[in-house]
Amino acid sequence: MSTPAAASNDYLSYSVEDTQLSLVLLKPITVYTAGAYDEAAQSLSQMEGLTLLVADFSKVREYDSYLAVLVDLIDAACGKRGIQVEYIGMSESMERFLASLKAADQARNDAAADVSAWRSSLEHIGEFTLRLGRDTRDFVEFFGELVYKLLLLLPRPGLIRWKDFPFVFTRAGVDAVPIVVLIGFLIGLIIGYQGAVQLKQFGADIYLADMIGVSITRELGPLMTAIIVAGRSGAAFAAEIGTMKVSEEIDALKSLGFDIMRFLVMPRVLAVMLAVPFLTLFADVAGILGGLLTGLMTLDLTLTGFFNQLQQALTYSHVFSGVLKSVVFGFLIATMGCFRGLQVFGGAESVGKYTTAAVVSGIFLIIFVDAIFAFVFQVLDI
Amino acid sequence: MPDSPIIQVRNLTIQYGSLVVLRDVSFDVYKGEIFVILGGSGCGKSTLMKAIIGLVKPSAGSIIIDGADFTSVRGSERQAVLRKFGVLFQSGGLFASMTLAENVALPLETYTSLNNDRIMQLVDIKLASVGLSGYQNFLPSEISGGMRKRAGLARAMALDPHILGFDEPSAGLDPITSAALDQLIIRLNETLQTTMLVVTHELDSIFAIAHRIIMLDREVKGIIAEGDPRELKEHSTDRRVLNFFNRVVETSEEA
Ligand SMILES: Nc1ncnc2c1ncn2[C@@H]1O[C@H](COP(=O)(O)OP(=O)(O)O)[C@@H](O)[C@H]1O
Ligand SMILES: [Mg+2]
Repeated sequence: MSTPAAASNDYLSYSVEDTQLSLVLLKPITVYTAGAYDEAAQSLSQMEGLTLLVADFSKVREYDSYLAVLVDLIDAACGKRGIQVEYIGMSESMERFLASLKAADQARNDAAADVSAWRSSLEHIGEFTLRLGRDTRDFVEFFGELVYKLLLLLPRPGLIRWKDFPFVFTRAGVDAVPIVVLIGFLIGLIIGYQGAVQLKQFGADIYLADMIGVSITRELGPLMTAIIVAGRSGAAFAAEIGTMKVSEEIDALKSLGFDIMRFLVMPRVLAVMLAVPFLTLFADVAGILGGLLTGLMTLDLTLTGFFNQLQQALTYSHVFSGVLKSVVFGFLIATMGCFRGLQVFGGAESVGKYTTAAVVSGIFLIIFVDAIFAFVFQVLDI
Repeated sequence: MPDSPIIQVRNLTIQYGSLVVLRDVSFDVYKGEIFVILGGSGCGKSTLMKAIIGLVKPSAGSIIIDGADFTSVRGSERQAVLRKFGVLFQSGGLFASMTLAENVALPLETYTSLNNDRIMQLVDIKLASVGLSGYQNFLPSEISGGMRKRAGLARAMALDPHILGFDEPSAGLDPITSAALDQLIIRLNETLQTTMLVVTHELDSIFAIAHRIIMLDREVKGIIAEGDPRELKEHSTDRRVLNFFNRVVETSEEA
């Protein structure tokens, strides 16, 4: 045998006699000292020709649950190689401690399926697809219920809880004016500048007014506003309602006989539906002013020239198609926010998840519906 | 069994702003005992528990854990003292985004250099010892309140603390589940010799588990009784103590 007959390190000393290995464990056996014992065990596991291992625990003063792990490891390593194991020098309390952990260990359920990586990622895709389908169906259902109940309540609007309405309108609408104006102005500035560079090349400076006026009022104004509102109010509704769901407020409301649609969803949806078109008009004006500013600075344009051209280019239908869209966007954003909030279950983490989902699916919905509008307006020649 | 004190509280005063909750409180908790803190709501039980585990800073006095004054230690020494504690919070305090196994593994991953296999082995042992084998991959939201508490207990025990704290372990549990939790506390105390510090006002629970109790009072802002609950029930001369043990309601007391 090539290994020395006796040796020791900080953690254990051992001696070999014939085919018997005697170990004396010297240090505390805890989760903090585990590494050192592992190393020692590694070097011992190289030994060959052993039939018996005697482990002496009499020097161990301190131990924790890792004792059970260590004993397990020794048992497993020796069992595999047909070596008998004997534990000596364990104090009574140590034995009792070990026994209690072992009893627990035996009750252990090893059924935890070892799912291979590719299978779990396939499962992931499948689950995602299923959820997408379920979410879509649930949203359509929710949307349908909301529209249906709104129509039913049309003759009796008093049944909607209007108390929340001004509050939501202020938060979703009035409070959003500064950011919407700022973003609108900057978008106008950027589009105006990009357009100016091109228009200048063939001396069509004056058509900047057409370009800015139409693109802002038809598309960019409503779209940017809707995206901002989705980020602000869609998220707020989801978080608010989601937290109410988690703290069982929703259940309490239902148990008191309140209709969640009438009580929570409708005031929010109606307030946002009213707020978004106003915000869109603010964004339109700010965007046009932004475009005008670049026009004045980089092109041969005068104030009156710009506005005269704008008056010709910008028909009512441009502005109103934008505003009409924004009403629909507002409806969708708020509905999605409430829908996601009501999907929350469990705890804080779920609130975060569905708040994110409210914004993402809200923005997706806006752009999807905008594409439909583009198509419809084109067919109708609006 | 009571030999040396593991916790020594000396002349402890705790206040929130100008509201004094506890004034000049002193007592000992001995190694390996189940020590129960009693008292009506708002008398400072949770505050006392939080002070002992270092979440609330007392304005005067000292708390000596295993010989180290917890109120003055800093940095790594403080960490070392903290690691002697495991605490089960009222609602379990599990991280909702993690499975039970991940919850229990977290302290082991943070404070030890064990590899993943070993950690999972320990996690299995801990979950099994609270009767949650097979629930490794469940999320806290997918199990019942009683199970959540037991899982919280498994996490509190992850690093084999010398002292386990429980703040109202039976709150929100049905009597059967709560009795089972009491049995679990007793079993862990017997097999692991862990010192248990329990805040509760369930009479059944007190008589089932407590080796010794202290009773706090909101008027006195301190201890009005200390000792074996069975003896106190029989022999105490303090009206407030007798009222508590015999569930007498005095109309003058606020709820
Ligand atoms: N964080 C805090 N800030 C201010 N006052 C507190 C705080 N926590 C508790 N209190 C007050 O301290 C007193 C004791 O509270 P607590 O320890 O929670 O009582 P118990 O757990 O016995 O019901 C109560 O009057 C409570 O209002
Ligand atoms: Mg409390």
